[in-house]
Amino acid sequence: METGSRRKFLGICLGGVLAGAGGGLLYTIFGYLAPRRDSNIRRAVSFPATDVPAGAAKFFEYNGKTAVLIRQKNGTVVALSAVCTHLGCIVQWQKDKEEFLCPCHGGRFSSTGLVLGGPPPKPLESIPIATANGTITVG
Amino acid sequence: MNLVKRIYNWVDIRVGTGELVEKELTGYLLPVNINVWFSMGSILLFIFAMQVVTGMLLLVYYVPDADKAFKSVSFIMNDVPFGWLVRMCHAVGSNMMVLMLLFHMLSVLFMGSYKSPREMNWLSGFILFNLAMGISLTGYLLPWSQLSFWATTVATNSVGSVPVVGPYLVEFLRGGKLVGPPTLGRFFALHVAVIPALIAALIGAHLFFLQRTGVSTPPFGLMDTTNRWQNDRYRYESHPGGIPFFPHYALQDLTSIAVYCALFLGVAFFDPYIFFPSTAFIPANPFQTPAHIKPEWYFLPNYQTLKLFPSEFLGIAVQVAAMTFLALLPFIDRGKEKHPLKRPLFMVCAVGGIIIYIALMVWGHYS
Ligand code: HEM
Ligand code: FES
Repeated sequence: METGSRRKFLGICLGGVLAGAGGGLLYTIFGYLAPRRDSNIRRAVSFPATDVPAGAAKFFEYNGKTAVLIRQKNGTVVALSAVCTHLGCIVQWQKDKEEFLCPCHGGRFSSTGLVLGGPPPKPLESIPIATANGTITVG
Repeated sequence: MNLVKRIYNWVDIRVGTGELVEKELTGYLLPVNINVWFSMGSILLFIFAMQVVTGMLLLVYYVPDADKAFKSVSFIMNDVPFGWLVRMCHAVGSNMMVLMLLFHMLSVLFMGSYKSPREMNWLSGFILFNLAMGISLTGYLLPWSQLSFWATTVATNSVGSVPVVGPYLVEFLRGGKLVGPPTLGRFFALHVAVIPALIAALIGAHLFFLQRTGVSTPPFGLMDTTNRWQNDRYRYESHPGGIPFFPHYALQDLTSIAVYCALFLGVAFFDPYIFFPSTAFIPANPFQTPAHIKPEWYFLPNYQTLKLFPSEFLGIAVQVAAMTFLALLPFIDRGKEKHPLKRPLFMVCAVGGIIIYIALMVWGHYS
């Protein structure tokens, strides 16, 4: 075998090894930087029912995102994602009107999360809840 | 011979400083019709140095922890002697950097200096501009105020409209589904280590290209204003009979830096809060979005464009297209003429573009 082609062969091998090592390095760095999954596990959250009197809203963290629990004046309790479906601002509860207003671009949502006006394309995501013995469990 | 001279001679014999000074300073000739716009680069180097120095000083007291960041910045402002000055210089300086970059780019555009053989100079400068925007965006989050928090929320959200990978990209940028403590860690690392290193490297490349190609001849006050470059082999653009960089142009550079300092300190002393809306003084509250949240002035055109289009994807696509066009301009505009008044199509596009840019900024501010 000519030395030229041997050098070429070894060069290709070395290139392959380096490419593999580079890939491994990238994978490691990506793994290091990727958002941690454990903080996103769906974990049910419970509150005493007295935390949300009629007409009031309670903001809390659920499943890595901000959520809100409200009690309508007629007593129904609803849990919704508080993240506006437009550009992700957090909606505010307007007690007197019984609706949500997004302060960023004026999106409006009903107390059940339906879009009433403004730029939001979708309703607020709703979250299942269960009420038992004076405790509200979200999730 | 006095001591200083003897030390100088000692060094000169060993590394040839005299020859270096002759070649790079006193014997480095610039075009006779050079103008003040050529000193923008020196101003920018000065600003970057100021940002690095004030940034390092801030690092002494700043704590990159979501629970402590806001308090540490308040401490710098209220308790550390001259802390207010250091912070104001850093914050005002970041705005000035973007402003001066815009001026620098405009002068290069109007004098046609981006044309062959200076494409690489333009490209490296264009990347520098984007890095400056990136370092400002990441720095903006660090004080962990309501303004920081929500401006970052809206800015990172717009990445979500990238098709397919968008939502994951947003999560990756933030280190979680929403802006939170993981975002602060990332942005802090980007702001004080990654981007400054990249900027320093690109400044090096930018100056290297300038050094190898030579300073361009401005098109003003000449009969022939066409580009004399020939696409055959490497030639250094020299300026025989030109004016020396040292002391002539170095004095112009210093004058420009002094004028810049007057403007900069004028803002820092007389109206430092021009860049601080009231939400900058309230600690971040992830449960409450404040009303009227707006990005910094230099992101307003992007912000307004995003709002104008019915779909977020379109809004982003238009901006990516505009930026790509600007980046590739030297490869698109291949005309030989450099004088702006002899380039009608260019003038219409440039002036139109500037008017649209400013209009979007003003509209974004008032909408
Ligand atoms: C090595 C260089 C740098 C270091 C170490 C550094 C460090 C810091 C630190 C610790 C903060 C948080 C304290 C505060 O907000 O007052 C900060 C904020 C900031 N930095 Fe930098 N920085 C550097 C370069 C830059 C550059 C080159 C720019 C802009 C072009 C920049 C723009 C900003 C901005 C906009 C803020 C937020 C200002 C505020 O609201 O107070 N930084 N920087
Ligand atoms: S983010 Fe809610 S209306 Fe735009």
